[in-house]
Amino acid sequence: MNVQLTESSPAAPVQRVNYWKIVSRNRVALLGILMIAVAVIVALFAPLIARYDPKSSEGISSSDVYNPPSAKHWLGTDDVGKDIFTNFVYGTRVSLIVGFFASFISIVIGGIIGLMAGFYGGRVENFLMRFTDIMLVIPDLPLIVVIVALTKASLMNIIFVIGIFGWTTTARIVRSQTLAVKSRKFVLRAKAIGAGNWHIVIHHILPLVLPIMVVNAILVVSSAILSESTLAFIGLSDPTAISWGQMLNFAFSRGAMSVGAWWALVVPGFGIVWIVLALTLLGNGLEQILNPRLESHHLMPGRPSFQSEAEAAPVKTGKSTAPVLLDVQNLSVNYVSDGKVAQAVRNVSFQLHEGELIGLVGESGCGKTTLMMALTRLLPAAGEISNGHVIFHGKDLAALTDEELSNLRWSGISVVFQGAMNALNPVRTVGDQIEEAILKHIPHFPPKALSARVEELLDLVGISAEHKNHFPHQYSGGMRQRAIIAMALSCNPQVVIADEPTTALDVMIQAQILELLDELRKKLGLAVLFVTHDLGIVAEMCDSVLVMYGGVTAEYADVDTIYNAPRHPYTQELLKAFPDLTKPERRLTSIPGSPPKLDALPPGCRFAPRCPVAFERCSKEAPALHRLGENHLASCHLVEA
Amino acid sequence: MTSEFILEVKGLKKYFQAGSSGWFSKNGKQVHAVDDIHLQLKHGEVIALVGESGCGKSTLALTLLGLEEATAGQILFNGQDVTHLADKEKKEMRRKIQMVFQDPYESLNPTQTIQEIVVEPLVVHGIGANETERLERTKKALEDSGLKPAETYLNRFPHQLSGGQRQRVVIASALALEPQLLVADEPVSMLDVSIRAEIINLLAELQKTRGISVIFITHDLGTVGFFADRVAVMYLGRIVEIGGMNDVLKNTKHPYSQALLSVIPVPNPRLRRKRIILQGETPNPVNLPSGCRFHPRCPIAEEKCKQQDPHLFNLNATHQAACLLLENYQ
Amino acid sequence: MNRWHLLQKKALWSLFTIAFVIVLNFFLFRVLPGDPARAGIKDPRLTPETIEALRTRFGLDKPVINCFKTINPLVLGACDVNPLETQFVIYVKNLFLGDLGVSYYYNRPVEDILKERLWNTILLIGLGQILAILIGMAYGIFAAWKARTVIDYGALITGLIAWSLPTFWLGIILLFWGSSHGFPISGKSTPGMSSYPLMMQIGDLAKHLFLPTVTYTIVYMAEYMLIMRSSLLDVLSEDYILTAKAKGLSVFQILKDHALKNGMLPLVTVIAINLGYTVGGVIQIESVFSWPGLGGALYEAVNRTDFPMLQGAFLLIAVSVVVANFIADLTYSYLDPRVQTG
Repeated sequence: MNVQLTESSPAAPVQRVNYWKIVSRNRVALLGILMIAVAVIVALFAPLIARYDPKSSEGISSSDVYNPPSAKHWLGTDDVGKDIFTNFVYGTRVSLIVGFFASFISIVIGGIIGLMAGFYGGRVENFLMRFTDIMLVIPDLPLIVVIVALTKASLMNIIFVIGIFGWTTTARIVRSQTLAVKSRKFVLRAKAIGAGNWHIVIHHILPLVLPIMVVNAILVVSSAILSESTLAFIGLSDPTAISWGQMLNFAFSRGAMSVGAWWALVVPGFGIVWIVLALTLLGNGLEQILNPRLESHHLMPGRPSFQSEAEAAPVKTGKSTAPVLLDVQNLSVNYVSDGKVAQAVRNVSFQLHEGELIGLVGESGCGKTTLMMALTRLLPAAGEISNGHVIFHGKDLAALTDEELSNLRWSGISVVFQGAMNALNPVRTVGDQIEEAILKHIPHFPPKALSARVEELLDLVGISAEHKNHFPHQYSGGMRQRAIIAMALSCNPQVVIADEPTTALDVMIQAQILELLDELRKKLGLAVLFVTHDLGIVAEMCDSVLVMYGGVTAEYADVDTIYNAPRHPYTQELLKAFPDLTKPERRLTSIPGSPPKLDALPPGCRFAPRCPVAFERCSKEAPALHRLGENHLASCHLVEA
Repeated sequence: MTSEFILEVKGLKKYFQAGSSGWFSKNGKQVHAVDDIHLQLKHGEVIALVGESGCGKSTLALTLLGLEEATAGQILFNGQDVTHLADKEKKEMRRKIQMVFQDPYESLNPTQTIQEIVVEPLVVHGIGANETERLERTKKALEDSGLKPAETYLNRFPHQLSGGQRQRVVIASALALEPQLLVADEPVSMLDVSIRAEIINLLAELQKTRGISVIFITHDLGTVGFFADRVAVMYLGRIVEIGGMNDVLKNTKHPYSQALLSVIPVPNPRLRRKRIILQGETPNPVNLPSGCRFHPRCPIAEEKCKQQDPHLFNLNATHQAACLLLENYQ
Repeated sequence: MNRWHLLQKKALWSLFTIAFVIVLNFFLFRVLPGDPARAGIKDPRLTPETIEALRTRFGLDKPVINCFKTINPLVLGACDVNPLETQFVIYVKNLFLGDLGVSYYYNRPVEDILKERLWNTILLIGLGQILAILIGMAYGIFAAWKARTVIDYGALITGLIAWSLPTFWLGIILLFWGSSHGFPISGKSTPGMSSYPLMMQIGDLAKHLFLPTVTYTIVYMAEYMLIMRSSLLDVLSEDYILTAKAKGLSVFQILKDHALKNGMLPLVTVIAINLGYTVGGVIQIESVFSWPGLGGALYEAVNRTDFPMLQGAFLLIAVSVVVANFIADLTYSYLDPRVQTG
C-alpha cells in the first residue's frame, strides 16, 4: 500500500525533504550517527580526554611495561610502558583522518569515472568500465601493501594510496545509478525542452545519484579505516602518528601474547570495531531509507481468517441453472499494518456456476486483486480474511488448514497470472515448471507420460513442443502468457481465476489470448473469474459482471444489463468514460476526483465524493446491496425500492 | 508562414544497430525502426498515429523532435529543413515542438517542485525578463492546464499529486514554451479509465484555443476519435494506411488496419463483432519479409505480395493505403 | 551470444588483465622510490657474487624499456640498444621461464618458496570459503524466510557486527583464546611431525588449520549471510514465488526449487567481485597465525624488506585472483540461463 501523504494547504511553503527527520526515524542509522559522533568528539578533544602526553616518555620506568588496567592506567600500559588509554584516544584521530581523506579521494575519482561512463555511454563507457573491471580484479590490499612498502609509510602516502585504489566500487555504483536515472523519462523530457548536457547532469542526474553516493561513501570510509589498520598491523604505519593498528602491531609482535597482556590486544581492536560498526550501521540504515524493501514476502505466514459478523442469508447470483462451483459469501478482507486496519474488501458475494465467466471490473485500488487473492488465500502477509466464506465443493477455503488448501490449489482452482510480470521463474525451463505442478498434485504420474502431457498442454495453447525446454526469457510476451495458461490447465482445474492476463500485451496478441481462453473454456467446461479493468474485454467475453468500487460491490448483473441498463451511478459514469471505437465522434467524460484510499474511506457511500447525483444521505449512510432483479444487484440509495 | 504545412516528413528512416556494439563483435544487422515515412501535417491539424508496439511510432516521434538522429530522409518544419541541426539550432527548434510523455509517474523529476518543473523550460531558453515574469508565466501555464489555483501546486512535489494532476503538470511545462507542434505519446494509457477523458479533453481544448498542431500517438483510437482530423496506421516502421478519421474507421482498406481495428474491444455486448485475429506476432524489424512486409500474416495475400513492396496508393484525395490489392482501386 | 563465445571473451579479458598485472608489477618495482632491483644489490646480506649474478639476471645496466633511457618519456634516449635486451624484456622472459628472482632473506629462488606456499593458501582459502558460503547461505536463507522475526533480527545484528570485525584482530583474539586451550599458535605443523604416521600428521594439520579457518569463516560468513538474506528477500517477493504458492507447493519446495538458485546469483557475483578483497583477509590471517602461505609471504617480505619475495608474492596473488574470478564468472553463466542464451 502507498504511504498516504497529507494534502498541503494552499500556498504552503515548499516541503523540502527533511533529511534529518527521515534519518532519525531509522533507528539503525541513528545509532550509527551517535556512535560516529562519539568518535569525532573523542578525536577532536583528544588532549582534554587523554590523561598523558603520548609523545613524552617522562617518568616511565621498566616496571611500567605491560601493566594491567589500574587507577593510574585505566586500560593498562603497553610494551614501552605508555598509557594505552592515551594512545587509544589519539589513535581515533588517525583513523578518522585516513578514513575521511582517503575516501574523499576515492569518491571523487569513482564518482567522476562512474558519471562519465554512465552519462556518455558507448566507447567512453566501454573503456572506463573495462579499466574499472581490471582494477576491481587486482587485489587492492596487496597492491597497497606493495606500494606503501616501496614508498615511505607516511600518513600522507597511506591516505593517498588507499584513496587511489578504493574507487572501483564507487565507480560501478555511480555508473549503474547514472544509467538508471538517465533512462528515466524525465531526462528525455529535459532533452525535449532543449536542455543541454550540463544542465541535465546538474539538475536531473546528480540529485538522484548523490544519495547513493553518500551511502557508498560511508562504506568506503569504513573500508579505508580497515585498510589503514591492516597496513599498520602489518608494520606499515607512520612512526610519528599513533594508530590503533600500530598499537596492535607493537603489542602482537612484542610479546603481549606471551605475557598475557590482553588489554594491549583487545583495546585497540575495540576502537576499530566501534568506528567500523558505526559506519556500517549508518550505511545500512541509509540504504534501508533509500531502497525501502517490501514489508513482506510471499512465504511469510498469513494472518488467520475470522468471522467478524453474524451469518447473513446467502446471496444468490447468476441465471445459470448449472450447479454453483465457487460460492463467495460476504467476503471481507483487511490489511493490517502498524496496528492500523484498512478495509480492502467489504462484504462481497457472488456465485460462480459451472461453465460461467464472470468479469470482475474496477479501477486500480478498487479491491479486485485483493478479492481474487483472498479466494485461495494468496494474500500478502498483512492481509486477513475478516469475514465471509469461500465455498468450493462444500469446503470453506477461508477455514482450511494450509495443507488442505495446498492440495486444492491448482488442482481445483488455478490462477492465470499476468505473464508480463515475473510469473515464471527465469532460471527454470517452462516445461520444467509445468511438470512441477503436475507432479505436486499427481505424485505418481508416470514419468514417461509426463513429457508427453507437457507437450500436449503446450500444444493446446499453440506452443510447439520444441519450446518446452526453453527458458522464459526466450519466449515473447504472448508466448509467456500462453505458457502460463498451459500451466494453469495442467492439473485439470474446474475454476480458473485470470488476473489481468492481457494487460501488458498489444491488442492483436490480446485478441489471440482472449480467443484462446474463450475456446479452452468452452472445450473444457471451465468456470472463469476474469479480473480486468477493461470494459471492452468484459463486454466481449463475460456472462456476468461484478463492478467493484472502493472495496465493495457497486453493481452485479448479467453483461447485457450492465452495459444497457446500469443502475449504479458509478457504472453509468464509468461507461461514459470508456472509449468506443464504433462511436468515434462521441466525446468522453471523466469522473472527477480519484478513488478513495483504503485507509481513509469516506463515511457513508464510498462513491459519494465523486458521484454526480449524490445527496445528503449518501455522505452519512452506506447503502445496502439492493436486489433489482433476479440477477441484478446494486448498492446505491437511489435504487432503493 | 513560409509553408502550407507545419511539418513535412519525406522518406524518413531511422535504423539502429542490432545487438550490442562491442569492440570485438560487430554484426551489420540493423533494426528498421522507422523505414521510409512520408507525412504532411497542416497548421492546426491533429493526426493520430496508431500501431502495435514495435511499429516505430515512438521512434518516429523521437526522431521528429531531434532526440534521435535520422538515418535518412528529411524533416521540414515550417518549410525549413531541421533534419540535421547543430546543437544551438536544435535547441531553438525544440521551443516550437514539445512532447507529452506516456508515463506521468516517470516523466517528472521527483526531486523538483512543480514550480521548478514548469519554469525549467523558460530558464533553459532564457524566456522572461526576470523571476517574477517567469513565475507569472508558470502560473498561467498551470492554470491553463486546469491546475487552479496555481499557488496550491507550485511548492508541491510530483509524488504529492495524482496521476491525472501529474500529466497536467507535464502538459503545463510543455505549453510554457508556447509550441506550435505538440507530440503526445500515449498520454493517457497509464491513467485510470475514469480520468482519461479529462486529459484528452484538456488537450483538445488547448489545441483549439491555441491552434497548435498535434501528433497523437495511441493504441486506442476511441479516445481521440472526436478530435483527431486524420489517422495514420503504422506497421513495421511504415505507414500502411492514412486518411481522415471517418475514412479510416468506417471505410478501412488495408488488411492490417482492418484486423487491428477489429480486435480493439468495444464496450457493447450486443455487438460481438467478427474479429480478424492475425496469427503469430509482428516479425522482428531486423529481418524484414520480402515484398510487402505484411504479407506473411496477411489473410488476403497473393503471390505478387511476396515480391513487390507496395507504396501508398491514393484511394481518394485524402485517403491512402499501401496494399497491392488496392492498386487499381476506383 | 552462446556459451563458448562468452567463455572465449572472458578468457581473453582474464589474459589481458594478467598482462596488465605483469606490466604493473614490473613498473611498480622499477619506478617507485624504493627501486628494489637497484637498492637490492646494495643489500648487505648478499654476497658480491650474488650481486653480480643479479645484475646480469635483471639487466640492470640496460635501459628500462627500449628507446627510453629513463622511464620519463620526455627524455628520449638514443635508440641504439637491442630491443630484446631491455630490463622489461628480460623481466618478461624470466617470468615465462618461471624465474622470479632470489629472496634476499632466504637466499633461495622465490618461485621455489612460493610454490609450496601457494598450496597452503589454497587449502586455507578453499576450506574457509566453502564453510563460509555454506553456513552463510543457510543462515541467510533461514533469516530471509523468517523475515521480521527475532531470528531475522538476530542474524542481521550478528552479521553486521561480524562484518565490522577487523580480520587480524579477530584472529588475535581467537589465537589468544586458542593458545590457552591447547591449539598450536603458529605454522601448519608441529616440528618433527613428518616422522609420525600419516593419520597423526593429518590430525596435526587439522589442529593447526582450525583457528585460521574459523577466523576466515566468521568474517566471510557474515558477508555472505547478509547478501544471501537480502537477495532472498527480493526473490521471495517475486511473482514467480506467488505462482509457486498458488500451484500448491510447500514452503520447503518453494525454497529449494524456486528461491535457492535465483537467490544465489547475486552471491556468486559478490564472491567473484570480492575475491581480491578476500585475499586481503588471507594476508591478515596468515600474518597472525604465521601460516606459511602467500599472504604470510607478503607480510614477511614487508618486514624483512625482501623485495624479490614481495614482487613475486604480489604477482602470484594477483594472477590467482584473476584466475579465480574467471572461474566465478563461468559459474555464474552456468547458473543463470539468461547469460548463456540472452
